[in-house]
Amino acid sequence: MSKTFSLSAKNLIRKPGRTAILALLTAFLALAVFGGSVVVLSLRSGLNSLEARLGADIILVPTEAQSKVSFQNMFLQGTTGAFYMDASALEKVTEVEGVEKAAPQTFLASLKADCCSIKIQVIGIDPEKDFTVQPWIARSLTKELGDMDVAVGCKVEANVGEIIRLYEQRCKVVARLEATGTGLDTAVYCNMDTMNALLKAAEEKGVSHKIESGSDVISAVYIKVKDGCDIDAVNSRLNGHIRKATAVRTRSMITGVSDSLAGVSRTVSGLIVAVWMLAFIILLLAFALIIQERAREFAVLRLLGSSRRMLSRMVLTESALCGLLGGIAGVGLAALLLFPFSQLIESSLRLPYLMPDAGKTLLLAAGTALLSAVMAALASVAAAYRLSRIDPGTVLREGN
Amino acid sequence: MMFKAENISKRYFRRTGSANYFYAVCPLSLEIMACGVTVLAGRSGSGKTTLLNMLAGLLAPTEGKVWLDGTDLYSLDDKSLSRLRSEKMGVVPQGRSAIDTLTVMENILLPARLYGRPEPIEAARQWMEQLGIAHLADARPAELSGGELRRMAIARALAQAPDILFADEPTGDLDDGNTHIVLSAFHDFACIQKKAVFVVSHESDAFQYADKVYRMDGGQVDIMH
Amino acid sequence: MKKAMIPACVMLALSLVVIVGSQTFLSPCVHEDGSFGPCHWAGRALMGLGCANGVLALLVLIFRKARFGVYMSAMPVCLMGILTPGTLIDLCHMSTMRCRMVMQPAMIILFAATGIAALLGTLSSAKE
Repeated sequence: MSKTFSLSAKNLIRKPGRTAILALLTAFLALAVFGGSVVVLSLRSGLNSLEARLGADIILVPTEAQSKVSFQNMFLQGTTGAFYMDASALEKVTEVEGVEKAAPQTFLASLKADCCSIKIQVIGIDPEKDFTVQPWIARSLTKELGDMDVAVGCKVEANVGEIIRLYEQRCKVVARLEATGTGLDTAVYCNMDTMNALLKAAEEKGVSHKIESGSDVISAVYIKVKDGCDIDAVNSRLNGHIRKATAVRTRSMITGVSDSLAGVSRTVSGLIVAVWMLAFIILLLAFALIIQERAREFAVLRLLGSSRRMLSRMVLTESALCGLLGGIAGVGLAALLLFPFSQLIESSLRLPYLMPDAGKTLLLAAGTALLSAVMAALASVAAAYRLSRIDPGTVLREGN
Repeated sequence: MMFKAENISKRYFRRTGSANYFYAVCPLSLEIMACGVTVLAGRSGSGKTTLLNMLAGLLAPTEGKVWLDGTDLYSLDDKSLSRLRSEKMGVVPQGRSAIDTLTVMENILLPARLYGRPEPIEAARQWMEQLGIAHLADARPAELSGGELRRMAIARALAQAPDILFADEPTGDLDDGNTHIVLSAFHDFACIQKKAVFVVSHESDAFQYADKVYRMDGGQVDIMH
Repeated sequence: MKKAMIPACVMLALSLVVIVGSQTFLSPCVHEDGSFGPCHWAGRALMGLGCANGVLALLVLIFRKARFGVYMSAMPVCLMGILTPGTLIDLCHMSTMRCRMVMQPAMIILFAATGIAALLGTLSSAKE
């Protein structure tokens, strides 16, 4: 085996042009498979992450934000949004039958921060009641969020210990959160006391958020329904019980996202299959042409004592090595586009996008390279069979 | 070493007149001397190369048997026949027979490498020296002339020290000087190493080095001397 | 000799992409109010480094005998190019900003590729 392997390797190294063309074809194949798979996987884990972060069955928002659209965009694209209702809504929610947990959140869009030309979404949570964002924050921050402490999403470039200014208030960054692939990554989180201080500072800056009653405000209530209760029924009860607010089922938000995701997945899968078929057909043709070119070489090997099996093995080894080389190049090229530009891809797709972890990515890369090798070897099976059946006497005479 | 062919023939389909086939090689028997140079002479198209290919185990005869030391070559499976050809036979075909991706020395050592046998480096050097291509050991086939390539193929066959060496028009593209160098190399190989050499040639130069000469015409073989 | 010129041609082409790109399709963030953030100056610096690489590539093509030294000198310029966006000059503090999303990765790849071309040029000239 090693004897034919070294001859195959020499053939590849010393015919760089031929090797490069074959490798390039499989590189396209690998690029499509690896690139496409990473995008689809990222979208899937983005959706899972969104589901986990939404974590609630129902979200209650002010009717004005019925703007389900603007609320959804906050999650998906990290656009800022601010809408308020009376804090008493929280108590009313807990009165409704079937509600197990209710957690308030208050939103504030920052003015332009010193760093960036865009606004940042500030989200106030109640650490004691929260059951959606808190578990995620707890992974990066062991203590509770103190007054004027903030935890920043992974896409906000501020280090732990750094001070960021929001409405001229100095806030200390105490944690950077793990990536979720959703709009939550561009937000800043604080407790309700800090949020109230920020709201007050915003008021002084002329950014009004007061509602008529002048009492405390919240932006949304995340609601978990008791096991066994009909979520739709609870949703209706909430809508009937609370004025100026609308209860929205989170499922409807996720369904929208998963529909878009299915569309993107279908397109990407179609693209992968098309590139595959094209690359495979071109590879078949390329190997068929190579038979013509190399018939004499194999006839010589045959008369030097190579058996048919040895020749087939040599052809398959060469094509598999070529495929592996192309596979590695294709994966490398895909990585060069996917990883540095992941943020650009995420922004263009406008969907939750969470890249798979290093282990999964490496496994996928290795699998793709291996698949390329197998595909190239498969494409050369016919060529290997025909080359191993050549009649050396005839071929060598024809060449004269 | 005992090498003989018994009633071998090669028939091809071709609609000529009343018959549907013609004989490239008519049924014949011959024995190759265990040590010595046997020359098969004849005009182009007389069936010499077809006969050589059948003897070398490269082309199955339509009828008959080819025996090497009591083994019928064509009763063996492909793997065993290939191994036997590698171990006991050397073949110098017509035309170019170099692997372009290997150097001259690598080409010469290739038969041994294919089966992982010890590489006959010394023998290779010695034959390259005798054939006047020692300086080309590291050159690539593309850099060689037709005559040099031919001598490389001959050195490759000789270096393996096969029991029997088949050469098809080995001096076809050589000048007079190199023709004699090659033919005397065959003679030395046969006489000193006590091996068999079977040369197909249409040139009379080969006769003076031959121990036995056959003539072939129209697919039939006669012994000349 | 001709082979040793290929890296210079690649360098020249990549430098042109850097120069044109840093002002157009790979430009840093454009602020709504017309003010400049640090990424604007990073973009300017990258254009300057691209110009430097372009001139070095031209020098290789004109003064072929001096190519070993010129190729070598392009490598630290490329290193500067890689370090400029984000390390030597700060960019916007949000990874969804254009300077982080487009300019930084593209420039790092372009300067790394130029650096590899310069390295290959250095090696091939050293062999000769």
